[in-house]
Amino acid sequence: MALSRDAYRALEDIVGARYISEDPAVMDSYAYQWLAETVRPNQSKFMTRPEAALLPASTRDVQAIVRICNKYKIKFKAYSTGWYFYGAPLSEGVIQLDMRRMDHILEIDEKNMFAVIEPYVIAGVLQAEVMKRGLNCTVTGAGASCSTLVGAACYHGSGGTSIYTGELRENLLGAEWVMPNGEILRTGSLGSGCGWFCAEGPGPSMRAIIRGALGARGGLGVYTKCAVKLSPWPGPAEFPVEGTVPAYRSPLPGNFRAYTVAFKDWDSLFEAYYRIYDNEICYYAHRQWTMLGADLGPAFWMLYQDPTKSLDDIEEFARKKEVKKLTEEMRRSFQLVLVGMSQRDIEYKEKVLERILEETGGWKVEKWLEPEMEQFSLLYLLRLGKKNLNFVYTGGWIGNFMQSGTPDFVKKYEPIAEDATEKYQQTGLLVDCGADSMMGCVGSIGGGGQCGLEQFGFYDIADRRSTAAAVAWMKHCIKEEARHNIPPGKEGMYLAVGKTHEELQKDLARQPITHTWQRKIKRAIDPNNLGDRMYPTLDEK
Amino acid sequence: MALEDYRDDCTDCSRCSYCKWIPLDHIKSARFARACPSIEYCSFQAYSLGGRLSVALSLLENRIDYNDQLKDIVWKCQMDGACDVSDKICRYNIRGLEVMREMRFRLVEDGQMLPQHKPYIDNLHEEQNMMMEPRADRGEWADGLDVKNLTEEKAAVVFHAGCRYSYDKELRETARTAVMMLRDGGVDVGIMGEKESCCGGRAYQWGYRKELNASARRNARAWTRAKVKTVVTPCAECYYTFKRLYSEIGLTIEVVHVTEYIDRLIRKRKIKLTKSVPLTVTYHDPCHLGRLGEPYVPWQGTRKKIYGQIPAWKPSRPRYAGAWGVYDAPRNVLMSIPGLSLVEMERIREYAWCCGASGGVLEAYPDFASWTAAERLAEATATGAEAMVSACPWCEGALADAVRNQDEKIKVYDIIDLVQMAL
Repeated sequence: MALSRDAYRALEDIVGARYISEDPAVMDSYAYQWLAETVRPNQSKFMTRPEAALLPASTRDVQAIVRICNKYKIKFKAYSTGWYFYGAPLSEGVIQLDMRRMDHILEIDEKNMFAVIEPYVIAGVLQAEVMKRGLNCTVTGAGASCSTLVGAACYHGSGGTSIYTGELRENLLGAEWVMPNGEILRTGSLGSGCGWFCAEGPGPSMRAIIRGALGARGGLGVYTKCAVKLSPWPGPAEFPVEGTVPAYRSPLPGNFRAYTVAFKDWDSLFEAYYRIYDNEICYYAHRQWTMLGADLGPAFWMLYQDPTKSLDDIEEFARKKEVKKLTEEMRRSFQLVLVGMSQRDIEYKEKVLERILEETGGWKVEKWLEPEMEQFSLLYLLRLGKKNLNFVYTGGWIGNFMQSGTPDFVKKYEPIAEDATEKYQQTGLLVDCGADSMMGCVGSIGGGGQCGLEQFGFYDIADRRSTAAAVAWMKHCIKEEARHNIPPGKEGMYLAVGKTHEELQKDLARQPITHTWQRKIKRAIDPNNLGDRMYPTLDEK
Repeated sequence: MALEDYRDDCTDCSRCSYCKWIPLDHIKSARFARACPSIEYCSFQAYSLGGRLSVALSLLENRIDYNDQLKDIVWKCQMDGACDVSDKICRYNIRGLEVMREMRFRLVEDGQMLPQHKPYIDNLHEEQNMMMEPRADRGEWADGLDVKNLTEEKAAVVFHAGCRYSYDKELRETARTAVMMLRDGGVDVGIMGEKESCCGGRAYQWGYRKELNASARRNARAWTRAKVKTVVTPCAECYYTFKRLYSEIGLTIEVVHVTEYIDRLIRKRKIKLTKSVPLTVTYHDPCHLGRLGEPYVPWQGTRKKIYGQIPAWKPSRPRYAGAWGVYDAPRNVLMSIPGLSLVEMERIREYAWCCGASGGVLEAYPDFASWTAAERLAEATATGAEAMVSACPWCEGALADAVRNQDEKIKVYDIIDLVQMAL
């Protein structure tokens, strides 16, 4: 279903011929998506091909495009960096808005600690710029290559420093939103001309509507600008980087400490979470290294330090005596970074950490205390520039579970996640790296109080059986969750992309009334139904 | 190899966009955070490494046909490898640059060449150079030099000037200086004069696979006859071709870039730098000397799965990730020059921004090449340096053109020129 020539010309008039295309090769580069193979017929890597792709340069362009879409009843979908199949067209007849030309940091308000950004500002860039002013931003768990605006306005937006810097959805201040009907809504204080400093007003407070169940993920208009709250950064203006690619590391000053702390069992680990919340000592707290499996992960992290090695050498590393020892030592572990605002502050935080470890029976894992390992940790954890390593084994990766809640709640589903995974790893169709391949925030709301564990699974995309097993594993996890009265985790969201309308309605009907409200909201601002079901709505009975 | 052999590399792309940025850990500013000229200039996803992997898959699955847009996607890229470095930081085993190269081979073999390249390739066939010049004039650059002619004499070292230095009258003085510097440093060096042949590397990078073999055979024959043990070149593209590509097709000879050789001579005190050169300079890493200049590691292996599903090779397959390129030798030489101070740009070493001249872009898309060079120039001027220094005639030419086009004051030198000033 190609666009009518009238519609195409109208769109071309907005962005210019250079920034619109409907060529099949160009369209396939937009259709290609991570995870497509789990929901598309014949395990295709391609989602539905868009009818055209456009690159708007301004809010004015976006609004004009959306108005044309309303005039010609064309569905549209915007994406920023485009990582996730949520950003792709989910049906025929959709045009893709690639936001990469809107890549400006419009303002950094040092005094009031916020930055105003456009959609294609990635966290790695924003962080580099705000650090020059003694500030830091939340880098979402997906890493430094992701759009900060998307984390704040369209999705979940939590990361390793969220315990200190907050989640991006919390940090969202004023925003500019081209709604699906073509109107521009400026939210919070921005809506009453008072600047960007507050999401709640004076002016329309739309935070809950923007966030909805879990962000609209491109399904309900286009966020063209937003302000995000920043946090203090008592480190150097430029992050020092040393080492040979890929084993970069960072010798930060003495007020920075990175630790991998470990515990004899899950009870002790989660008890430490509570104590960390109570004492507010962490700048970063996250379970990260285990994402590659508690059994195999340590071998990989040691291998990664040696630029002469490749993944082909991982068996050799896993056989090493010291790696075996390390694997056992850090089996129930997480990572934290302490940052002192002064020398006294770092000394205090160190003492509190010592006390927490003493009371919970925990320990600092020795290998990670070595200067080069600590420098590697500091760089990796604070910049999150290597987060795509979760794809390193096979190119195919899924994160299941990740229901967030109190440590006691998360502790409850941890064994369920392990059991549900072990069986699939043992078939040999998923990477057998240890049934605990769980990572997640220690405290995903500023100050702590809530955490989550995401169970990673690795499948070989090039292997049809392995890909099929990954899908089966997701379905199995949902069943197990239901059996234990736990809501479905991220796997439910992944699989929903491939479901029929009827299947999806059945799922939504079982969920809280949120999706009924979302239907009413959508009806009000998307009268021509030009968005998609990434903003899920429950049909009227 | 054929494009089909890279299918897994195409499906393995996780669409993370690392290929568009310098290694994320190294980002220092919004202005100079980007790695890939192609996506920055052309904007659509298809013009990134990730996009090209998806286009390659699309070709393999017969979802698309050949057309002009596809040719544009395939060739509007310097093949500078910055994307590949960033990508391999996390995606260890994806061979992105090789996939892009294979796409070019496939299109050429299917008769889908870029018309802008044709005269250059015809000239290579007929005159054995990529400069649209007659073969007979190739030796002119060395007229009057007191140096061995290896078509008649023997020497341990051959100085291979390369097409650009041989024919570009503005630049050839550098080559003359370099070869005399080696001779005066006690090196048993000679040249091939008009019998020197194009290395074939540029054609190969444009997608003309067979032309590399023909050039390699010609050069190997000449070097063998002259009993040459070492090839020294002042051209980064020739260096890459000899060091990496000739090795890939089985030719083994020591290959040294002239900056490496001069670094050795300075350390052995065979070259003594005595005069002060009071300049603040910034060094531009040529892609083909830096990240692409890693030595070739011969390898043959078999694939098996470990830990259930991890595809692995036994023995381990070499990774070309930019770690072992020539980065320090040019800097050592610069730091040896009295009075000179070196300031670094934001994008250096394995994550340096390209000068714009390679991959057939200069010949087919001159505006894009100019834009790419202007970006590098902006980065150099931001350092406050008085001069940009490089170690490749293609880079030097592109950057000097950018200075002229932008009406900038910064000077452009080859390292050799600065060493000469210090002698």
